[in-house]
Amino acid sequence: MANINAASAKKEESLKKVDRTLIVRELLPVIGLVAIFLLFNILTQGAMVSNLSLALSTVYSLMIASTGVFFIMTMGGLDFSQGSILGIAAIVICFVSTKAPIPVAVICGILVGAAIGAINGFFYVNRKIKSFIVTICTMFLFRGFIKYATTNAPVTGSASLTLAYDTTALKLTCTVIIVAVAFFFFRFTKFGTYLKAIGAGEKAAKFAGIRTDRMKFLIYVLAGAITGFAAFVNVVHTGSVTSSGGNQLETQILIALVLGGMPISGGAKVRFLNIIVGALLYTILNSGLQMMGITTQTMQMIQGVIFLIFVFVFADRQSISVIK
Amino acid sequence: MSQEVRLQVIDVNKTFGITKAVQHVSETFYKGEVHALIGENGSGKSTFTNMLTGIYSKDSGKFILDGEEVNAKNQVDANNHGIAIIVQELGTLDGLTVAENIFLGHEEKFVRFGIKNTPAMNKMANDLLKQYGFDRIKASDMIEDYNFEDRKLVEIVKSTYFKPKVLVVDETTTALSQEGREELYKVMNRVRDYGGTVIFISHDLPEVLEKSDSITILRDGVYIDCVKSADVTEDDLRKLMVGREMTGNYYRTDYGEAVSDEVVLSVRNVTVPGQIKNVSFDLHKGEILGFGGLSESGMHEIGKAVFGASFDREGSVTLEDGTEIKDIPTAISHSIAYTSKDRDNESVIMNQSIGDNIVLPSLDKLGKGPLKIQSGKTLKNFANQYARELSVKMVNTNQFVSELSGGNKQKVVLARWVGADADILVLDSPTRGIDIKVKQDIYQLMDRMRKEGKSIIMISEELMELIGMCDRVIIMKDGEPSGELIRSKDMTENDLIAKMV
Repeated sequence: MANINAASAKKEESLKKVDRTLIVRELLPVIGLVAIFLLFNILTQGAMVSNLSLALSTVYSLMIASTGVFFIMTMGGLDFSQGSILGIAAIVICFVSTKAPIPVAVICGILVGAAIGAINGFFYVNRKIKSFIVTICTMFLFRGFIKYATTNAPVTGSASLTLAYDTTALKLTCTVIIVAVAFFFFRFTKFGTYLKAIGAGEKAAKFAGIRTDRMKFLIYVLAGAITGFAAFVNVVHTGSVTSSGGNQLETQILIALVLGGMPISGGAKVRFLNIIVGALLYTILNSGLQMMGITTQTMQMIQGVIFLIFVFVFADRQSISVIK
Repeated sequence: MSQEVRLQVIDVNKTFGITKAVQHVSETFYKGEVHALIGENGSGKSTFTNMLTGIYSKDSGKFILDGEEVNAKNQVDANNHGIAIIVQELGTLDGLTVAENIFLGHEEKFVRFGIKNTPAMNKMANDLLKQYGFDRIKASDMIEDYNFEDRKLVEIVKSTYFKPKVLVVDETTTALSQEGREELYKVMNRVRDYGGTVIFISHDLPEVLEKSDSITILRDGVYIDCVKSADVTEDDLRKLMVGREMTGNYYRTDYGEAVSDEVVLSVRNVTVPGQIKNVSFDLHKGEILGFGGLSESGMHEIGKAVFGASFDREGSVTLEDGTEIKDIPTAISHSIAYTSKDRDNESVIMNQSIGDNIVLPSLDKLGKGPLKIQSGKTLKNFANQYARELSVKMVNTNQFVSELSGGNKQKVVLARWVGADADILVLDSPTRGIDIKVKQDIYQLMDRMRKEGKSIIMISEELMELIGMCDRVIIMKDGEPSGELIRSKDMTENDLIAKMV
């Protein structure tokens, strides 16, 4: 009897230990965010706090686009075409804004994003090609379109775009609304549970009654649409699109989500907080390094090292093979 | 057949994860005999011979060949020890010539000063092919120019030209036409005549009886018996292969209760290509309907077909109210539940919590308002209630299913469907790999549900549980129903087996 008690006590203890490592995993990004923010403030003698809106000027489109990718990654998929989606949508928004009212332009951007997402989804779901292969292909394809459209000159939007809409208040409101709506559906409806179930075990999820194929397709469409909207938030800041519009957004999103503590394989361990913490952490890290006057080249190397460390900590080695 | 020992096998074991593929198998093989190895799928025949031929490594035990222990590291190493295998599937490699395939791993014979003498290799291969009577195959041709059957013949040459001491023929005959089979039999006889030992694996019992001298039977990785072919009949072998031990009386005890006439589900002319053909049956209210048969008889597909999970299903599955079940969500929303034989992949979501696994099909029911808003507390209480009802052994519902034992995983699946209040349960191998205590819990749950007017389809490879639990048992053979038995005290395993094989 004493033996059994000892054994169960030992089991409890090991379970507590598992719980503790889980908590560490969940808290580490938040602690990292606070620490990096404080560190850069000390290093720049408070320049970051005083220029917060400048420091965070790129966080909005990143956080919005990350929300869509978060859903994709929760299902165990990946999307490398995000940068190209943003670029194309930004071109469409700029072009339409010169001919029609801005809201029409925004809707066009969203539709174009959704259409590209639908292409991704079609090949991924119907033709059963791995998502990272499909999206790498569409990344190249649409990057080509962007370069073609911007061969002679950048595509410039209507002047009212930057004049009337480039306010922190607007960008912040848009971001908060998107994130809040996404959070609501992810946390308080079956949507989130379904996505996590697909990521944790697609076949079993199917046998539990989830229409997995339809869900996967629609999530790619949704992620495309969200990024189409992110293009608007991006374009009000820049006013025009060059051939590098949206370039490398996909890697930024991936890095941000991983920095935020998201397991690359998705599944039951994802947390919605990953988006917010990750996008902020990435942006602060970036602008902090910039404010310190570090060159782009060095910056990229530093980012690479940090990314590797986070992947090392957060990679869920047990389920890593389920990336689709 | 002499009494000189060729190969002695001592206490060989092999496990894959939690599956004990081969357990404590010991056996003696003599010189100049064809020794058959039979058993159902998954009984460990191929695992056993794969360990001998170096395809798998063994966990423990010894193979002693002519007094010396052999531990083949791979097939070439096994060949060097005088052990060869002809495998079930393709055993030749694309992109190489016939001659290169025959001498694969033994090219050094033709290499002088680092240069391969291809003409010499081709000549020797042609001579061998001629010797075997396969003149139509040319050594210098690419192997992919030949069809499956000819490639098998090349493989036969490849594994026997060096006069192996032990030749393993692993279910090769099923892949061959009668003509090819005859060639293989000739080769087997030749090996026997020069004093070699043939280990012959086949599902074709008449063939086994005719071609072999002695027969070893394996079941679930365990050695059952070794018999002389002359002393047994096909029926004896079948019983040895399929028969299962009798255990406790935890099944239903009632007999002669009338089953309701109310049909809750009717299956008409359901065909799934390559799996089942023209299956029709009715399921009544409060009935436990069993499906039995050999593993490949198609019985497992019936569960999927009823649940709307089969690919390319033809025919119809209709409920009492006329609803046709065509996909899984329709099945679930019309109160049908399904537990798969492949529990880890198709039933539970391994990397997810017990709680989420239980609530998954009930989320719509538990949500509030038009948006079906979920409250964490409601979900948790729901999961706890049904986990407790099924007495799942766990820390709490946040624990991941992957940490549970097989029996507890099955309880989680059942808790899910009890929670969803399913009226029709399709249980495929519900007690597979589960210990007696949990089995009993599951049988009692089934009996209780039956009394509550729920209907159950139980698919099982365990004949005793079909006899013990079902009101009616349909036996499947080659994808079609081959007989139906009504619950009775006098029903025996042999009644079922007779219709299975």
